[in-house]
Amino acid sequence: MAVKNVKKMLMLAGFSLLVSMNGFAEEQATTAKQVVENFQGQLLAVMKSGKQTDFAGRYSKLFDAVSKSHDLTKIARIVVGKEWEKLTEAQQQKLVEVFSKFSVASYAHNFKDYDGETFVFDSEEETTKGGVVIHSHLTIPDEKDVKFDYMLKDNGGNWRIINIIANGVSDLALKRTEYTSVLQRDGFDALISKINEKIDNYSKL
Amino acid sequence: MSIFGNFCKHYSSQQMFVVLALAGTIGGCATASVEDQKIVANKADPYERVNRKVFNFNDKLDNYVAEPIAQGYKAITPDFVQTGVFNFYNNLKNINVVLNDVLQAKFSQGAEDTGRFMVNSTLGLLGVVDVAKKLGLEQNDEDFEQTLAVWGVPRGPYMVLPLLGPVTARGIPGAVFDTAANPSSYVGAPVQLMSVLNTRANAEGSLKFIDEAALDPYVFTRESFLQWRNGLATDGKSSETADFEDDLGEESSSKTLADFNRKGFAGEAQKFTDVSKSFTSVEQSFENTAKSFQNAADKLEKLKK
Repeated sequence: MAVKNVKKMLMLAGFSLLVSMNGFAEEQATTAKQVVENFQGQLLAVMKSGKQTDFAGRYSKLFDAVSKSHDLTKIARIVVGKEWEKLTEAQQQKLVEVFSKFSVASYAHNFKDYDGETFVFDSEEETTKGGVVIHSHLTIPDEKDVKFDYMLKDNGGNWRIINIIANGVSDLALKRTEYTSVLQRDGFDALISKINEKIDNYSKL
Repeated sequence: MSIFGNFCKHYSSQQMFVVLALAGTIGGCATASVEDQKIVANKADPYERVNRKVFNFNDKLDNYVAEPIAQGYKAITPDFVQTGVFNFYNNLKNINVVLNDVLQAKFSQGAEDTGRFMVNSTLGLLGVVDVAKKLGLEQNDEDFEQTLAVWGVPRGPYMVLPLLGPVTARGIPGAVFDTAANPSSYVGAPVQLMSVLNTRANAEGSLKFIDEAALDPYVFTRESFLQWRNGLATDGKSSETADFEDDLGEESSSKTLADFNRKGFAGEAQKFTDVSKSFTSVEQSFENTAKSFQNAADKLEKLKK
């Protein structure tokens, strides 16, 4: 009896180890494509429930979705270009924090209606620098498709989005010019207060 | 939710013809001053100081004149009429799209766009209904500025024109050609006015988007305009995979363009000479267009009062 129990326990332990290893392996193997598709799925889900959820609700749902799929620290760093080096560590942290909030807030504000949109995967491409580009498009009933290309980089074993190119307009390039321009013209504090102002607006609209 | 879709639509109907002469003035009065040093030099935008002033002027004009009129128009015009008006003008644009397809040697696309124009002009009741789209014929976006880009003409500096908004030096002959090749340019002021009104009404969403998202609306508009135009000219094949980490401050350059220039520039140069010959007649018709636009502007002025 006792032997049987031990056997059972061992089997159970072995089984659960197998399961957890399996889970671990799956997490490791999340491909760039899956990262993008998970994110798009979550975005569509938020859009579908947009009528019932208020800004704060969409914000908290999306905060998770965005931070698990985007490399917000890297994006914030690229967005200020060479100015990054000139910032103190505290300023860098502040920038990443405010920038992350702003990114999520703009998603929460702009993606609140659902009119039957779907994301369609087109192709995957490896870049020379070890990145991956996922080409996809958004179909909108009665409107022209919008091309969405996601640039991903490996961040310690996890694929993370660092740029989104919508119909040929690169979000990262756009923001970089804008942010460096504000930084150089008006300085760090002005940049932060401008971003905060925008976040505030989004939450009120 | 098609924020970017809407945003891009704003630029696609370029109503950029009225004050082309002013482009010269803008170039002329941009002199270096102490104030300039505050503004970060941008390769694509050497006249930023003047451009910003014009941008602010346009913005005010839009707030006080165009926006109220467009909102009035929106309020009294049902959605299906607005779509119909958009489709009508959009269909007329197809003649120009086909011309540019041919000039860029995109013959199968040209055939497709011809089919599109024929179907919409007949079954689509002179273009009011976009039947072709329901048949799966998507609208292609081609214009003469893109043709010039394909031929290897450099983009030139970015400029903001009074009333007309963003343009690059290459876009000016582009707009002249496109105006000449668009039948609605020859019908007179009321038609132009209707087209401008409808375009402004449709742009509402994009303008709101810029207002909400941009830390610096001037830079935001400039960058998205240049990128969007570049994407169109290279049919979306340019610099998509630009690596920002070791590539800070890069200017997007297109592989496709370079390839094209190597292979087919000689033939295209001939075409270019031919086109430039036809420019004289284009200029004539452009003058007429400018006049009718002037009339439209006068009427706007009156409406304002």
